[in-house]
Amino acid sequence: MSITIEKVSKSFGRDEVLRSLSLEIPTGSFTALLGPSGSGKSTLLRLIAGLTKVDSGRIWLNGVDVTDVPVRERQIGFCFQNYAPFRHLTVEKNIAYGLKVQRRGRREIASKVEELLSLVQLSDFATRYPHQLSGGQAQRMALARALAIEPRVLLLDEPFAALDAQVRGEVRTWVRKLQHDLGITTILVTHDQQEAMEVADKLVLLNKGTIEQVGPPSQMYDEPATDFVRSFLGPLTTFDGVSIRPHELELVPESASSGQVVTITDVVRLGFEVRVVVDDGADGFTWVQLTHDEALLGNYAPGQRVRLRIRRESHA
Amino acid sequence: MKRRSLALRFVALFYVAVLVGAPLVLVFQRAFSPGLDSVWHSLTASDTASAIRLTLVVAAITLPLNVIFGVGASLLIVRHPSKFSRLLDTLIDVPLAISPIIIGLALELAYASNGVFGRALAHLGWQIIFSWPGIVLASAAVSLPLVSREMVPLLREIGDSQEQTAATLGAKPARIFFTITLRSVAWAAAYGATLTLARIIGEYGAVLIVSGNITNKTQTLTLDIASNFENFATQQGFAGAALLAMISIGVLIVLSLAKQRERKNYEYHD
Amino acid sequence: MSLVILIPVIALVGHAFTGGLPAFWDAITQTEALDAIRLTVLVAFATAFINAIAGTAIAWVLVHDRFIGKSLLNSIIDLPFALPTVVAGITLVTLYGPYSPVHINVANSWVGIMVALLFVTLPFNVRAVQPVLESMDFSAEEAASTLGSRPLRTFIYVTLPTLVPSILSGMGLAFARAIGEFGSVVFISGNEPFHTEVASSYIFALSQDGELNSAAAVSVFLLVFALVVLGVFGFLSRRISQRIQ
Repeated sequence: MSITIEKVSKSFGRDEVLRSLSLEIPTGSFTALLGPSGSGKSTLLRLIAGLTKVDSGRIWLNGVDVTDVPVRERQIGFCFQNYAPFRHLTVEKNIAYGLKVQRRGRREIASKVEELLSLVQLSDFATRYPHQLSGGQAQRMALARALAIEPRVLLLDEPFAALDAQVRGEVRTWVRKLQHDLGITTILVTHDQQEAMEVADKLVLLNKGTIEQVGPPSQMYDEPATDFVRSFLGPLTTFDGVSIRPHELELVPESASSGQVVTITDVVRLGFEVRVVVDDGADGFTWVQLTHDEALLGNYAPGQRVRLRIRRESHA
Repeated sequence: MKRRSLALRFVALFYVAVLVGAPLVLVFQRAFSPGLDSVWHSLTASDTASAIRLTLVVAAITLPLNVIFGVGASLLIVRHPSKFSRLLDTLIDVPLAISPIIIGLALELAYASNGVFGRALAHLGWQIIFSWPGIVLASAAVSLPLVSREMVPLLREIGDSQEQTAATLGAKPARIFFTITLRSVAWAAAYGATLTLARIIGEYGAVLIVSGNITNKTQTLTLDIASNFENFATQQGFAGAALLAMISIGVLIVLSLAKQRERKNYEYHD
Repeated sequence: MSLVILIPVIALVGHAFTGGLPAFWDAITQTEALDAIRLTVLVAFATAFINAIAGTAIAWVLVHDRFIGKSLLNSIIDLPFALPTVVAGITLVTLYGPYSPVHINVANSWVGIMVALLFVTLPFNVRAVQPVLESMDFSAEEAASTLGSRPLRTFIYVTLPTLVPSILSGMGLAFARAIGEFGSVVFISGNEPFHTEVASSYIFALSQDGELNSAAAVSVFLLVFALVVLGVFGFLSRRISQRIQ
């Protein structure tokens, strides 16, 4: 289902959170609303859901103006950061809640719930209570609960933020696959740029209530429209007075013919990636991002003098 | 270190045993030493029996009123904050800090037949003070804060994301209220209701003033116990006291079981 | 709700000041009134103080010690809170009065009054400190012992300061309950005017004698006093906990 947001504004008291924002979200896409705290991304999501009302502007779901339609009639699925489980109900009753509201038959509900439980791999936990689940399991239950009513769009508000780092990665991948299999239009709100780039087809970067840029993640990374986009989406360092990505730089031996002579001050090994901090003798420190193998070959150590230059194949 | 902590333990235990345990033991000893028959006799004597009846009637009326009020007020205070609800929040806690005698006096001044409101009500043929409605008012006053004190912190802690989720799943406001809101605070409400019941049954000072202490007419069980004791019907007084003590112990057991179950429900295994 | 709180409070204040300020002043400066108030306040303070110490000790044992019957102890602490005041009243006077089975007679004296108040306020002091002790991490204390501090010293200089705000708040609650307490005190005190009559008994006596305006005046005074003391305790408690942060 496609979503159209037309010149939407929202203020809380004197705080202007969203300013005349317009956006198109195509059917079946996985869109990430990305931005720093206070950028308005959660507010926008809640406006789409109908949990909050717009001050001005209109919202269209599949060509229908739903601006004044209450949340319960919009057929959306919503997942909160804190999972919002119905604590007094079992996992299966949680998932069945929306179906009961729709007054479906008991047998129909039972089979749908069973189907969803196996989809989210919680079949063994059907009769447990939410407090007996781990964070990742609780979030999967929340997803199943939202999917039960066959929503036209799935809205996820920082759903992975409360999970442990390892679990977060697993659930993320799993959600990506799920969305792909089901084809349901999905919008994810996150402040984690890596997460957004990993799961989304389309990135919407928000800053202070307005859109900085919209596009596929790789395009936004390589061709940022503004400085804000550039610095938000990836690491930056300075070389030769210019702001540049650390992986667009390389180190070559002092004996090479081109590049600026610098002294290595620190080598940070992060396993898959190695960061080499260099001093150009002037006022600045620059750091270079190398792959594990490049670092291994170069055998870098603090105190060495090497040459620093931009890689030939970079965009800079 | 071990010896010192052992000593502390014994001092603490001794203090509690002497201060709290001894009186508890005495109540039952005095009540039951002449035998079960005597206890039964005491409790069915006309003054005590009618006192028990009155206490039950008052509790049956006051408890639902205060619980409904408490639930409603808590929801208002937490979910719809406003100047009014803040005022309500402060006023509700007032009875906690005031002597029951003062509460009783205030009620008498307000509602006695020669009082400001009492006069108007007397015209309608209603007598509040020195009659059972006054006792209901007094019981309601002293137990007013007990439900909302349990519910407000809980409501604040759980937030309204469950209600919002239910809305996204298609539920209408009334349905959300009954299937989600109430259910999620059910334990706190029940806990508060139990405390309220215990307080209503056990109130003395406020009811003493407001009821006029008329035997067989406006005496609750607590008043009956006191008047028996003062009139040297000690046995009868202790029988009633033992009954109340047993109810209190029952209440304590129920409450501590509830607290244990609640604690289990709110921790995630992560 | 306004029926039950607002209107009576207004009536109370109204009656307290019928006859204006002179009548109010007159009522609260009667010798009997002053004696009752003085007695009540002093005993209430003493009670709050003693139970602050006892309550903290008991809370400590409940949190740190393990022994059979600990949960029984934990539940019994709430008994004075759940037990009707008359039951406590008649029991205490039987236990510690003229017919005492243990030959202790403190009836008709301030000691008896204090015993009754200690009984009813104990839960306040224990429950104020207990949750704080439970959620304390003892790293500061452990650091102190690695630096050579002995247990008692550690307790006084490291643990106690953290506990002071909650101890004070418990004392405030205990005090407020104690100055208004009636049912558990009225039997053992003997209610002798000028000697063992507590403020609530005095107010009750006035109301029975039909001196409703004087009763209202003394009540208002007592209320304001209690509010002020509660406010002071609360203020101190907050101030100290800010200093600690």
